[in-house]
This record gives sequence, C-alpha cells and structure tokens, in this order.
Amino acid sequence: MSDLDKQIEQLKRCEPLKESEVKALCLKAIEILVEESNVQRVDAPVTICGDIHGQFYDMKELFKVGGDCPKTNYLFLGDFVDRGFYSVETFLLLLALKVRYPDRITLIRGNHESRQITQVYGFYDECLRKYGSVNVWRYCTDIFDYLSLSALIENKIFGVHGGLSPSITTLDQIRTIDRKQEVPHDGAMCDLLWSDPEDAVDGWGMSPRGAGYLFGGSVVTSFNHTNNIDYICRAHQLVMEGYKWMFNHQIVTVWSAPNYCYRCGNVAAILELDENLNKEFRVFQAAPQDARGTPAKKPAPDYFL
Amino acid sequence: MDSTLDLKNCIERRRVRDRDRERERELGLVASGCSREHQRVKVYRLTEDGKWEDQGTGHVTVDYVERSEDLGLFVIDEEDNETLLLHRITPDDIYRKQEDTIISWRDPEYSTELALSFQETAGCSYIWDHICNVQRNLHFSTLNHDTFHSVNSELRELPAVELSTLPLILKIVGESGITDQMRLTELVLHDPEFFRKLMNLFRISEDLENLDSLHIIYKIVKGILMLNSPQIFEKVFGDEFIMDIIGCLEYDPDVPHVRHRDFLQEHVVFKEAIPIKDPMVLSKIHQTYRIGYLKDVALPRVLDDGTVASLNSIVHANNGVVVSLLKEDNTFVQELFSRLKSSSISVDSKKNLVYFLHEFCTLSKSLQMVQQLRLFRDLVNEGLFDIISDILQSEDKRIVLTGTDILILFLNQDPNLLRNYVVRPEGSPLLGLLVQGMLTDFGDNMHCQFLEILRTLLDSYTLSGAQRDTIIDVFYEKHLGQLIDVITYSCPGGCKILAKSAVENLDKHSYTKPEILLNVCELLCFCVVHHPYRIKCNFLLNNSMDKVLYLTRRREKYLVVAAVRFVRTVISRNDENLNNYIMRRNLLKPIVDAFVANGDRYNLLNSAALELFEYIRKDSVKPLLMYLVESFWSQLSKFENLTSIQSLKVKYEQSLESVGTKPAVNVDSRKRVEDRALEKEEEDYFNEDSDEEDTASASMSHNRRVQAHPVSSNGSAPSCTPLSSTKPGGLVDYDDDEDDEDYKPPPRKQTEASDADEGTLESLSVKRKIAAKEEPGLVKKQRLDKNSKPKESVFAALCTTLSQTVLPNKKTASVGENASHSSNTKSTANKENDQEREAEVARNHNDENSSADENGSEKNITCQRNSDTSSKSQENGQLEGEEHPHLPSNSSTEMVVNGS
Repeated sequence: MSDLDKQIEQLKRCEPLKESEVKALCLKAIEILVEESNVQRVDAPVTICGDIHGQFYDMKELFKVGGDCPKTNYLFLGDFVDRGFYSVETFLLLLALKVRYPDRITLIRGNHESRQITQVYGFYDECLRKYGSVNVWRYCTDIFDYLSLSALIENKIFGVHGGLSPSITTLDQIRTIDRKQEVPHDGAMCDLLWSDPEDAVDGWGMSPRGAGYLFGGSVVTSFNHTNNIDYICRAHQLVMEGYKWMFNHQIVTVWSAPNYCYRCGNVAAILELDENLNKEFRVFQAAPQDARGTPAKKPAPDYFL
Repeated sequence: MDSTLDLKNCIERRRVRDRDRERERELGLVASGCSREHQRVKVYRLTEDGKWEDQGTGHVTVDYVERSEDLGLFVIDEEDNETLLLHRITPDDIYRKQEDTIISWRDPEYSTELALSFQETAGCSYIWDHICNVQRNLHFSTLNHDTFHSVNSELRELPAVELSTLPLILKIVGESGITDQMRLTELVLHDPEFFRKLMNLFRISEDLENLDSLHIIYKIVKGILMLNSPQIFEKVFGDEFIMDIIGCLEYDPDVPHVRHRDFLQEHVVFKEAIPIKDPMVLSKIHQTYRIGYLKDVALPRVLDDGTVASLNSIVHANNGVVVSLLKEDNTFVQELFSRLKSSSISVDSKKNLVYFLHEFCTLSKSLQMVQQLRLFRDLVNEGLFDIISDILQSEDKRIVLTGTDILILFLNQDPNLLRNYVVRPEGSPLLGLLVQGMLTDFGDNMHCQFLEILRTLLDSYTLSGAQRDTIIDVFYEKHLGQLIDVITYSCPGGCKILAKSAVENLDKHSYTKPEILLNVCELLCFCVVHHPYRIKCNFLLNNSMDKVLYLTRRREKYLVVAAVRFVRTVISRNDENLNNYIMRRNLLKPIVDAFVANGDRYNLLNSAALELFEYIRKDSVKPLLMYLVESFWSQLSKFENLTSIQSLKVKYEQSLESVGTKPAVNVDSRKRVEDRALEKEEEDYFNEDSDEEDTASASMSHNRRVQAHPVSSNGSAPSCTPLSSTKPGGLVDYDDDEDDEDYKPPPRKQTEASDADEGTLESLSVKRKIAAKEEPGLVKKQRLDKNSKPKESVFAALCTTLSQTVLPNKKTASVGENASHSSNTKSTANKENDQEREAEVARNHNDENSSADENGSEKNITCQRNSDTSSKSQENGQLEGEEHPHLPSNSSTEMVVNGS
C-alpha cells in the first residue's frame, strides 16, 4: 500500500494528516491542478455533488450513497470547507483522492475556497486549532488558487459553484481568466463563484450577498442557447429538498450538506448522470449520531503551561 | 436556519420589486418624519408548506395589551390602519434577531414562526432593545413572585446524597427545565457538602465496581456540568475534585471505558523548562490542561456551545493569569533569557526552552491587548530578537521553525517591534537569516512562514518613514539579488549568465526545490506591487527580469505559470520604462515561447498567458501590443482559432489603420530585437552610452507611430518613446493655454523637438529653469491635465535616468522629460538638482546604486496615475507619496458577512 493510499485510509477515519504529509500532498496536487482548464471537461457517467462545508461524516454518507471513488466518477462543485467541524479532513480527503485518481474526481472552486472567507467561517480557526499553526491553512489556500472554476460534462451540462456572470456570454470567455489568485471582489471569476439564480429577477440584479449577481431565467436561456448546453448544474444555495430545478429545467441547484450547520434539518442530494446523461437525484440524510466517531482531539502528550 | 434563508430570499425579492415604489413613497414621506420610517415593517408568517407569507406592511410599536399589564408588539397596517399583528411579549427565549433588520420568533398563539422585517436597522435595534427590556422585567418579577417554587415544589431542596437517592437526583438533574436549572444550580451550590458526598459515592461505587451507580453518577455529573454555572465550575475544577470529576466521566454507559485519569496522571508529562515556584501558578497550569482535556477529549460530543464557550473562557482567563504572574516575577523571565542565551546548556534543554518560549508567547494572546503589547515590548527589551536570531541558526529545523512561529506572533501583535529591530545594525543579520531561511530546504516541514514574515516586514502599506526606507534599502541592497540569482541558478541555462561570485555564493543551494522558487517568485511580485520604484531600478540595472524569466525553462508548469504572472504583475504597473525595457530586452519572448510550447493544451498556463495578452490588448498598452504582434505573430498565428489571439491581430490592425500605416511587420527589426536579447554581456548596458542603440531599436516600431500620432500628448503613443529622440514634444507647452482643458500640443512643436535632438542637453537646463520659474502656471496646467498621459511619460522618463523625483506639490511634472537621455544627462541633471533645490524639481541618483538614497523613500510613481491624491498629500509636505495603500474595497466585508 502506497503512502498515499495509507493517507486516504487515515483520512477516511477522519484523522487529519501530519503537516509534512499535507505539504507533500499539496505539492503533488498543484502539479495536477495546473494542468486543468478553467472549464474542465468531464466525461459521463459522473456524479455531481454540491456544498460539503466540512461535514465530514455526512460526506461519508454521500460516498455510501453514491459509491466510492474511483468506482464512481465525481464532480464536486466547491465549498468543501468552513462551517462544519471537519473542514481539514474533508478537504484533505478530497484532495488526496484527486491526487490518487486525477481522472475520477474533479474539484472546482467555491466561494469558500478563499483566504478571506475561510478566516471568518471556520477553516482558518480549525487549522490553527488542529495544528497549532496556520501553515496548513496557508498551503490549502494556495491550492484553492489552482482549482478549476467550472466543468463541462459531455459538452452538454455546465457545472459551476455559483452561477453566471454578466461578463461571460460564452464558455470561451472563461478561458482567459488567470484563475491563480484569491477570489476577486468583482469580475467574471467572482461572479462564477458567487452568483445566484432568482425567480423575481429579470436579467441581472444586485446580489444581497455583496458579491456576484442575481440572474433571471432569460439570462439562463440565452446562455444555454449560446453555448449549446442542456442545463446548468450549480450549488451555493441551501435547498431543503437537496436539489431544485428552476426556470423550466434550465438550471438545477444541488446541495450536498444534509442538516446544514448541524441544525437546518434539510436533506441533501447528489445528481447521478449515466453515460447517456440520464439524471437521477439521490437524496440522503445526515449521518446518524453513532456513525460519527468521537471527534475527540488527541490530547497533547506534554505541556509547559 | 433554512427558513431563515428562505425568508431572506423572499424579503430580498420583495425589496427588489418594491424598490421603485418605495422610492416614490419616500419622496412623499418626507413630511411625516423619519421616526415613522424607523417603525416601518413588513410582517411575515411561515405557512404550513414552509413558505414565508407576506402579511402586509405597517408600523410597529410596543404598548400595553388592552386590559392587561402585559406589553406587546403591535403592527398597524399602513394601508387600512387595521391591527396587522398583536403579540404579547413573553419572557421565554423565543426571539431571534437576524441581519440587523429582522426579528423573528415562534409565536405560541399563532403557533407558527412570525417575522418582522424592518425598513431600517435603527428601527430594528430599537424594537429589539424594547423586547429585551420587557423580558428582563418579566424575569425579575417572576423571581420576586417565586413562581417556580409554586410550579415545581419538589425543588425546594435536593435529597440527601446517598447511593439510594442517586436515581432521584438524576431525575431532578435530567428533567429540570430552564427555570428549574437556575434553582438546581442554587441548591447544588447551597449544599457545601454536595460534591464531597457525591465524589465519595463515586469512589465507593468504583471500589465496589458498581457499574449501575457509576453510570448514574456519570449522568449526574454530566448534567451538572451542563448547567453551565461558573460557580459550579469553580468548585468542581478545583484541585480537590477535578480528578474525581474526570473519573466520573470515564463511565459513559454508551462508550467503552476510557481511562482518562491514567492518561492524566501517568502519561502526560508536565515539563518545566524553568522551575515555577508559585503554587498558584502551578495549580492554574494543571487545571487549564485538565479543563482542556475534559472539553476536547472526555466530553466533546456532549457539551453544547454555551458550555464549551464557558470552558474556553475559563482556559482563557487561566492563561492570562499564568502569563501575567510569570511575567511579574522578574527573576523568571530573566532566568529564561539567560538560559536561552547561555551556550553551555544541552541541546535538549535548549529545545525545551524554545518550545516553552513559544508557548509562553502564544498564551499571552489571552492577555488584554495593552498588557500583551507591554509584555512583548519587555521581552524585546530583554533581547528576544537576539535570541530568535540565535534560534534561527540552530541545526534542528524544528527549532528554527518554532523561532519563526514566535516571530509571527510578534508580527501579528505589532510588526514595528521587529522592524525597529531589523533596521538597527545588530538586527540586520536577522533579516539575512530570514532570507536565508526562505531559501533553505526544510525537507518535509512547512516553511511558508519565512515568506510571510518577509512580506510583513516589507509591506509598504504599513511601513512608514525612515524605518521603511532602511528595511527596503537593506533588503534591496543585500538580499534581493541573491533571491533572483537563486532562481536563475536553478533554471536550465541560468548559471551561465551569473557572475562567478554569485555562483560561488550560491553553491550551497545547488538544488533549490521548486516550491522555494515559487515562494521567491511570489515575493518578487509582492515587491513589484509594493516598491515599484525601487524594484524598477533594480530590474533596469541588473537585468533582473531576464533572470527571473529563466523560470519559463523549468519543467514544473506551475513555475512557468508563476513567471507569466510575474510579467503580468510588472506590466500592470503600466510603467512605460518597464514596458520599454520589456520590449527592448524582448522579454515577452520566453512567455510566448512557453505559451506556444504548451500547444493546444487548455490549462492554467494557457489561460494565464491568454489573460496577459488580453490585458495588453484591452488596456491599450499599445506599444506592447505592437511589439507582441510584430515580433511574435508568426508563432501566435497558429492559435488564431482562439478568440483572444484573433482579437490581438484585429486590434493591432485597427491601431495601424487608425494611424494610416501599412501593417508591415518589420522582420529586420524584430530580428534585431531577438539578437539583442541573446547578448549575454549586457549587464552594464545601462551605463553604457546606450543612446544610439536605444534610439535605433525603439525607432523600429515607435517612430512610425509617433509620427502618425500628431496628438501624442493625449494618447498613449508617446509613452512608448521616452528613449527615442522624437520625444520631448509636449513638454514645454505646459505653460501656455492653461485654460484649455483639451489642450494638445500642436504637431509643430513635436517636430521641433525631434529636430532639436542634438540640443537636448543644453535645452534641458533651460527648460528646467523655465519650468521652475513658471510654477503657478504649471500647477494649474497640471490640474487640468491630470488624466492625460504626458505627465506619465514625463515621470517615466525621469525615472529612466534613475532620477528620483520629489514632488513637493504639483509643480514638477513637466520638467524632467529631457532627462531621459544618457548618462551624461544624468550628471547634468544632478548638478541641476543642487542648483534648483528650492524648486525641488527632480533629484537624481549619482550612480547606478539606486537603492542607496539617503533621503530615501520611493516616492512618486503612483503620481502618474493618482496625481490627485498624491499631490494632495505632498502639499502637506508628507512625502509618502508613492505607495498609496490600496486598501481592499469594502465589498469584501460584505462578502464575508453574507458568505454561505
């Protein structure tokens, strides 16, 4: 068993890696991610997953429902970290799988894969707490900069974390984004990660989130038509039923964090596409209490103060 | 939470829809005053299918409910004056305030969720305060009336603590409601013997291996901890009980027996790097560890947020006490430091001392800000940074990294502590060690701290005054070159171009890991942004850009991408000297080559290069566009299927058409450019009389365009020609026509100027004097022209000769353009400078050693773009001009707040 396989096993038990292992993993990941495109092509069959937000045990449920990687080909639409208790383990497991099976799992960037956001919503503090320094956070956020921005499944389904941008009409325009940077406060890259579809908006509207836009059905229709795609698959918004179609099946939101923040009471979903792009949503619940291991920290073996 | 989000969406939607209507209303509402607006709310009700239903809009008040003494919330419909909502405020904790404008609660009478969405934040907090007040009064009166005694009379006292009564006690503990819990807490505390008896029972049960009792005791103890009472915590975490309490927690019926006490008593090592004498301190230290253990290991799943927060605050307070007691003990810190400084201690105890120091500094975060700062200052005065310097030279890499962690703690607290040290003679080795650390292979260990520390030290946004200059001076003089050499040396073909001395210096880094090169490149980009002037001098003098671009020869694609990003960062300075330099040295060649070699692969390199080309095209960096297309089209044409490559060509042709010149690519001159780039011994080209050559190479693409641009002062065209002789056209024209906003120098002058090429040297001083005398006019002109380019070219030209320009106010710009010529000019200008101090027009550097500028600071490049602000600050005599803090925009905070 290679070191990497051992690390994957360890991470599956929700045990974080050592700093040195994280470093090595990140360096390998960069080499892989740098070869990916801003619109990463993905082959069907594939299973599309939405936000995870550090809910490690719920992600294990997800793999139970969807099958293990590499047997199942996965596309994760970002927001791996923050909010939940296990952002470190969650992201590292996904990253380790990516390094181990680069062609069987695709990770794209969500708005939480950002230095600024993670300093507020938990990932930063979690790294500090679990490692005693923020080095792991630094390495991981460096990796975030390399993550692809969107995915295109069999030229027919466009996957993105947030939504569309007024400065992007064709997929080709995404190509000229130099994505290796912190998520900016505006512009195409920001919008892809922050925007939301909205019934009540015709065309483009201000987003209450303070970044990205709200976009209406007409925007989606013309985007899909221009780029000859069937529909857009995105995440970014909690939907109680786990998934939600909008605008006459032109866009779907997939949400994969059940009982979000451990208190929202929602179910989660993943979208399975077979080789003919037939859809099946698999809905799942939060992991039962007994499936959650004791998250007990390993106590420090010695102390000065 | 979900309903909250939905509610937010719903409200947002309404807002969008109602915005126009509301605006009208607001206009009409001026008369009715704003207090009314404060109270304006929408009422929402959660329907059975989970949707938030808008019940109407009205004004909210807090008033007595009719025929009672209870206070309630009233909302009166603004349309028909009917009561939209009447809600009796209850003492129960059902209200939630969200997003500053929403108050929601689960209403017992309507038996669903209700929400008020306020038009204004002020109104929301006003009503919220009211609700809290009412609740507080209600609580108070309930206490007075002894309500819960009557509600639950059994709770008047606890049963005697005996084995037989344990189930009953558990029942009370387990079933008490919120109000009862307060009473229960009181009773537990009231009985001084309660815990002693309970712990006795625990020990007995354990001796008897009476598992049933032990399980019950576990639950009782857990329940009592969950009461989250500070007084109870104080009791049970005292030395007398804490180990027994933790013992009780070993008997969770749902979990196999874990031997917490064994671990705490036998396995954990309490290390005393320095003996601590104060028993109070010792007791706090042990208590803190045990509470942490209880929280993180024994009960993490059980504790609720509130209890965890209380435990954290106990730990926090303890840490504060420990640190301040140790600090007050003068001998302690002194002994610590003298041991750290001593050379006679063993490696092991040294290690422990360093770890201890780190922990000590970490824990000081628990002190109040002021105290912490004072502590850090004291430590610095005791010689902490000397000790860190020593630590950074340690053999053991872990120790070195711990040293950097300590530095980061200090930087986070107050970066000036370290900066002040580094600028002193005894401190400068530390800067060297940090640079060295950045280049050192730490094996598996993470070492990104070095980059972090250097960035903080060199951060121009927070540096000020002399300190800034000194740090930056030292860094550029002593270290930057080394960093760049490491890059070059580690790239194929790179070591050939390095001076022999440099190579000898570098030999110990014969193999530099790619991640280190990545960090160096990142630091360079940081410097380009933060010290544009200083780094420009360095680039122009040392051909550093060429050296960095050797990165494109590396196999690791992320290093090639880093090189592209580096060039992109430089180009986005929009500095025409640098742009000219890029063209003259043909520095886009390695980028284009890398792009071409990457072929049709759509990866990060592809995107980064395309983005760079797009920037050149869109932001009309015309000379660069011309250069890019003219020099590389044969290579790029293969990629014409890409929109952005195609657009490059289109834009190029457009610019040619607009100036009426044939789009002929001048192959000869391109070749010359390439040839030049291949010349190795150009290190000192800058000092050579490069006039001729410059003019020649520049003319290949520039002259033509300049001629075609009669209105050059306004466009970007002249910006490409500071080195060519056609240049100083619009310059002297500033002093007339000052009221003409769109003033453009007549083409006549342009030609004149180019004709006057030979006479530039003489004319320089003349012009300068004219300029100096005619300041008032200049000032005005300057203001009018603040958005036009000529000034930029003027500044850029000034900088070409490495003159540093000081702008006491807005006078300067028009002057120094002519200085752009040769080293001869430089000395002339230098003389000028002395003579014309009072005008403070331009100050030149004496030699190529650009960084050793006694008056220092990098001033005014930003003035080009930012003339408004910079000249303002300069008017105040504050010469901090150059690097205006480009603070992140506010939107970031909003993003942060809303991020989900």
